[in-house]
Amino acid sequence: MTVLFFGRLKDLAGHAEDSAEFSNAATIEQLFALYAARYPELAKYRSSVVASRNQEFAAWDTPLRSGDEVAFLPPVSGG
Amino acid sequence: MATLPHDDIYQLVREPIDMAALARLVRAPEDGAIVTFDGFVRNQSHNRATLYLDYEAYESMALAKMREIGLQMHEKYRIHRVAMVHRLGRLEIGETSVYIAVSAPHRAAAFDACRFAIDTLKRTVPIWKKEYFEDGAVWADGELPPVPTATPRAKPAS
Repeated sequence: MTVLFFGRLKDLAGHAEDSAEFSNAATIEQLFALYAARYPELAKYRSSVVASRNQEFAAWDTPLRSGDEVAFLPPVSGG
Repeated sequence: MATLPHDDIYQLVREPIDMAALARLVRAPEDGAIVTFDGFVRNQSHNRATLYLDYEAYESMALAKMREIGLQMHEKYRIHRVAMVHRLGRLEIGETSVYIAVSAPHRAAAFDACRFAIDTLKRTVPIWKKEYFEDGAVWADGELPPVPTATPRAKPAS
């Protein structure tokens, strides 16, 4: 599983990409919680984070499979 | 799933956007109108003088979302071709960050589709800008894309 962080979340997590050692997370919510425990600053932003799984926006309860690409995305500001 | 016309253009680029070339590419004899949107870097944000912006994207997903917007445009409006290009990296004041050109037989559809495109892009395409000021830098406020609230439950095996 690959985990990506963008924008502000990348700064808070200290890196853009992690080939998750948290492969025991069953859902996106659990995966985020594991990172939030490690990087407490991330936890504060939980309400303004959306997640994607394999490049589609995904609900927090989305189940994870090995090989998934999960990304945590802050509010988008393109344009 | 419907496919995009092959002569549409959806790109992320790191060089200045050639707007005139894109407008020419969407122009065809059967069209009667082209509406374009040129979004460029403003010299201030919340009354602070901006030095420059730095754009980053989740590139593969951003391109997929831009193409999705294109598909919706063709479904909703009677348009001909779309060019949608977003620039990444460092942009100076006045430089174009996003450019959209829409051709159509008649102007109303082109106006409506172009407005839909930029509004949807700003809400759903994973691109972020960091604003640099004299005294520091901040990630710009943005919009949280709409996300499914819960995944559909798998049907129990019968």
